[in-house]
Amino acid sequence: MIPEWMKGASTPFSSVLVANRGEIAVRIIKAVQEAGLRAIAVYSNPDKGALHTELADHTIHLPGDSLSENYLNSDAIIQAAKLSGAQAIHPGYGFLSERADFARAVERAGIIWIGPSPEAIETMGDKISARSRMIESGVPVIPGDEIAIPDDSDHLGILASVAARVGYPLLLKASAGGGGKGMRIVREPKMLRTEYEAAAREASAAFGDGTVYVERLLTGARHIEIQILADKLGNCIHLNERDCSLQRRHQKVIEEAPSSVVSEDLRRSMGESAVLAAKSVNYVGAGTVELLLSANGEFYFLEMNTRLQVEHPITEMITGIDLVQKQLEIASGLPIGIRQESIGISGHSIEARIYAEDAKRGFLPSIGKLAVWRPPSGPGIRFDSGVKEGDEVTVNFDPMLAKLIVHAPSRMAAIRRMDLALSSFIALGVTTNIGFLRNALTHPAFTSGSITTDFLDNTPISEFHSEGSEPSVLVAIAAASKRLGVDRSGGGLSQVFTDDHTGHAGDPFRTLSRSFP
Amino acid sequence: MEWKISDSGEIFSVDLNEREGVVTISSMSIDGQEGEVPEIRISKAEEKSRISVEINGNPKFAHVTKVGDRWWMHIDGEIYTVDELEKGGKSSDKAQGGLSAPMPGTILEVMVREGQRVREGQPLMTMEAMKMEHRILAPKPGEVVCINFNQGDRVDMGAVLVELGD
Repeated sequence: MIPEWMKGASTPFSSVLVANRGEIAVRIIKAVQEAGLRAIAVYSNPDKGALHTELADHTIHLPGDSLSENYLNSDAIIQAAKLSGAQAIHPGYGFLSERADFARAVERAGIIWIGPSPEAIETMGDKISARSRMIESGVPVIPGDEIAIPDDSDHLGILASVAARVGYPLLLKASAGGGGKGMRIVREPKMLRTEYEAAAREASAAFGDGTVYVERLLTGARHIEIQILADKLGNCIHLNERDCSLQRRHQKVIEEAPSSVVSEDLRRSMGESAVLAAKSVNYVGAGTVELLLSANGEFYFLEMNTRLQVEHPITEMITGIDLVQKQLEIASGLPIGIRQESIGISGHSIEARIYAEDAKRGFLPSIGKLAVWRPPSGPGIRFDSGVKEGDEVTVNFDPMLAKLIVHAPSRMAAIRRMDLALSSFIALGVTTNIGFLRNALTHPAFTSGSITTDFLDNTPISEFHSEGSEPSVLVAIAAASKRLGVDRSGGGLSQVFTDDHTGHAGDPFRTLSRSFP
Repeated sequence: MEWKISDSGEIFSVDLNEREGVVTISSMSIDGQEGEVPEIRISKAEEKSRISVEINGNPKFAHVTKVGDRWWMHIDGEIYTVDELEKGGKSSDKAQGGLSAPMPGTILEVMVREGQRVREGQPLMTMEAMKMEHRILAPKPGEVVCINFNQGDRVDMGAVLVELGD
């Protein structure tokens, strides 16, 4: 059934297949159901019983052990859509979300693609064509010399000469990479071969394309990105910036909106550039233009992500706009319905990514069973999660377990709220970065708003250490718990994950206690 | 029964008193030396995995759960782990000269051969797990005594990958 709000749309639909897993599948399924549409989930063997399959109205199993057989298998997903009668496909982020051939195949199958056109994905997905399109459109680009490296046996000679021209330190990026994968810093020529091979392998493992690209590394810059929305009628607006400067090896760790260094004028200027970038490819849907803001206040186009971002919730919190709902509206052919002038900024929002990793061991991914998993809740706290208590964390997927998002009237209030929320997060059984996140968040460099993208990589891990409890107290607690038989009551029995803070009225994204599930 | 804070070397032993469901500490030793006894009273709370902890008269709650031989606890906003050891038990990461896999994954590349001398920090192997690459580096200079896996092999967490001699 077509919901009331979609009446009159040019391409209405009543069901959506979510071609993803984890927290983003959960997030999208919830939004789809909230919009009055049917949500269809897909899952691979290790995801049997995963949270996103529990929530969906209908689930389809994707066979095969490797990602290329299931979540990266366009044919299988389109088949699943046909089988389940899904009229639209939402790709989420990662996996097939930025694959033009997939978008094209979806449209060819007569299914609505919730995203930009295959041509827009193609142009922006290729760093060279994106760069030249930006130059044509008058959007500033990073200085340097960029050339694609064909992935054949003779790559090293070409690579070395391009690298010499660009200059060290440089950044090797897989053309099809993203999210820090397939991206390597090369500080000196002798490391070129090793880093190139690692980048190419990572990229082909995660994205199925081994092409690599060279770029000058700008140090001391901030990562600022602009969220944009564009409809099929030619309207395009921006929804302010997100500051994602707190990164580790190009993997975002903590994001915030608005940025503490972006003035009203700079915001307008960055926003205009982002809209220009989107319009240059006739962009449709939600997208993000990533910019590097250098120390002297100049900004450069980094890339455009032609999909929903991991960190999209902080924009939703400060603007009150549900980006997934907007994606659905736009895909149905409806206009954005919001004018640029009416986009405001309400308070401050921060997102912390909860990773299964051990900061004390070089951030190695950790595995195990989420024996106790009690995320924080309360006013101003949103929790987007793909896992539930009792779940096994394995090496099959990305180590991001969930996202903790806070909203508060000011930046300092948001930092305090996040710190308190993280401190009450009870996650036992799998080592997470929760303690590290607290220490990074409260580090004077972060609280003063002065960090740049190289901050985490250049700061010794000892600076992210907290005093903590006396060892003797911890041993006493363990020994006493054993005596009291605390382990016998637990014993790894999984509990039903319950959510006691649903049922709020009003705008769901202003309803500050929203959590998924 | 002995105890060890994960990632630290000290071995603790503890004597407990229990009275009406409240546990207190009567003595504690660290690496065989008599240690200061913490002023602490611990009892079970209503809820599963939750305990009540009174330190120097200040009451607070902690969450505790046991997975394998490891006790996980959340107290004062921080998460800790304490390992339970058999009396006289050795900690597993003290295996001499063996470099073990930090997580399950696949060996991508073996960069050294048996008998080769390596310097500290030299990459020995590359492995992939969670879609990311990790390099296994030599923790000290020495000779590669034994390489236990080949390129393409799948390894479990803790599997000894390379043995280094002096």
